[in-house]
Amino acid sequence: MESLSALALAVALALLGLWVLVGRRNLVWKLLGLNVASGGSILFLVALSHRPGARPPILGLGPGPAADALPQALVLTAIVIHFATLALALALVILLTERRHTQDSRKLEEEG
Amino acid sequence: MVAVLLSALAFALALFALTRKRLLLGVIGVGAHSLVLAGLYLVLAAPDVALTEAAVGFGLVTFVYLLALRRTGKLVVAASPLYPLFYPEGERIAGLEWEILERFARWCHRDLEVIWVPRAEIPRLVRSGEAHLGAGGFLPNAEPDLRYTRTLVPTRLVRVRGGEGPLGAVAGEPSPPQLDGERKLFEDAAELAKALARGEVGSALTDLLHLREWVMRDLFPEAEVQVLPEELGFAFALNPEDEELWAGLEEFLAELERRGELAELVRRYLE
Amino acid sequence: MRVLLALALLGLGGLLGLGIAGLWPRPEPQDPEPVARAWGVANAVAAVVLGVRLWDTLFEVLVYVVAMVGVRFFLGGLRWRGELPPVAETPLLRRSADLLLGPILVFALYVAASGHLGPGGGFPAGALLGSALLLLALAKGVERLSQELYEPRLESLEYLAVALLLFLGAVVLIFLVRAPAAFIAANLLIALEVAIGAWAVLHRFASARGEV
Repeated sequence: MESLSALALAVALALLGLWVLVGRRNLVWKLLGLNVASGGSILFLVALSHRPGARPPILGLGPGPAADALPQALVLTAIVIHFATLALALALVILLTERRHTQDSRKLEEEG
Repeated sequence: MVAVLLSALAFALALFALTRKRLLLGVIGVGAHSLVLAGLYLVLAAPDVALTEAAVGFGLVTFVYLLALRRTGKLVVAASPLYPLFYPEGERIAGLEWEILERFARWCHRDLEVIWVPRAEIPRLVRSGEAHLGAGGFLPNAEPDLRYTRTLVPTRLVRVRGGEGPLGAVAGEPSPPQLDGERKLFEDAAELAKALARGEVGSALTDLLHLREWVMRDLFPEAEVQVLPEELGFAFALNPEDEELWAGLEEFLAELERRGELAELVRRYLE
Repeated sequence: MRVLLALALLGLGGLLGLGIAGLWPRPEPQDPEPVARAWGVANAVAAVVLGVRLWDTLFEVLVYVVAMVGVRFFLGGLRWRGELPPVAETPLLRRSADLLLGPILVFALYVAASGHLGPGGGFPAGALLGSALLLLALAKGVERLSQELYEPRLESLEYLAVALLLFLGAVVLIFLVRAPAAFIAANLLIALEVAIGAWAVLHRFASARGEV
């Protein structure tokens, strides 16, 4: 089933993203992992909205069951907000690099 | 069926992207993964979400990462100290090569990180990619897979004779063929100087700039100095596979030379 | 250490799997017809975003604006030290920017204005517009473009769009307006605001060298 594979992918992406977020030392890599993890969470919600044989939730697209419109609506603004917070995080990373000349999280923690 | 294929592709792309060493490949991989994810949303009957994900996740996010990457990133320099080319001064670093590298790093938006290593380690680090550049008291020894920039400061080998005993030299430095034979190797010039002072070696093989440093510190007032005919020069060493860095550094050095700033720097530091 | 992390993540994955299993069998979804018809539009998702959940959307727009203000604040003080390296002009980039800019603009406006009839809406349209502005900046040079666009005026335009959006949202919420006109206006305002915010971020990130 389609939604099942999508759900499995969503969980896998979330776990992969979390692994990278904690595991990698470079700040920008951590942000990339967070990006993938949030992609996974968005996919999770969209997969929940899918029904077998569904069509998009727009009027006039023919008969048959329609996908659930609510999770899709929740996710729509979430995508744009993810971009906004990512931009803010990258701005902070740039500032940090200018001041401390490193993006290594361990070095940043050591030097306080 | 399509959904299963797209899911597998998306996961493979994400795995590929997040296990790269170069950040650029990771960013592009995550962008491609977003695009496949947008296709998956289409299959899952969510066209609004698919359009938004494609526009934001694939477009804006990748742009923002690429633009941020231009202002970050670092240049790792493996160096062995030599006054006045590249030496630590208290908490900071100074020297002719340091100043050139600092300007270069600002020019190509990277931050400099210096690791101090014995001279023999420099080729290994540059070759393995752990360091981008080799600098400092480091004479090109015709290493097989390193690339050298143009000569910054010319010099010559000298042999300092302090007494009887074997010949000492710094491990990794070039040596003229007529002086082949047994010699004691040291990690850096400071060790060599101490050994010469203690009498562990009878003569030391080094170069003009190191000799100048020793003379300025008044280390061997009574030594006999023999200048050898080979002409060498200090330069930066790079990994030959790093085309971009090579091109950038060559262009930068050519510009410095053209504007006469290179000559002025050499004059300022070596007077 | 890594082993611990891997085990923890696998445990988390197991929990998530259990949670998913608990969701089956899923209930029948609501038919989108009543929702869409009640609000007078064809796109049920747009009806939810700008109708049923308008309150949430307004706040999310505010979150976006706050993030953009944050980026301006943090990167505003960065000055470039040293000389600017020369700008590389490629005729290919200028030509393709000239050709593509018009269609992208029109397409973005179409996506925004028809958000209540088909897929799309304000958010992807704003993202497209922001990308188009970045393309223009690539062709012309960031400094020149930001001078021509006069950043403070763009900023006030963005805040004006947000204020209008909030006002419109208040009207819709209080008076329970359900006309497509409100949807179109809201979508256009959102597109404008997202685009200017994205441009602010991109141009601040890019203005290190005066060129992208």
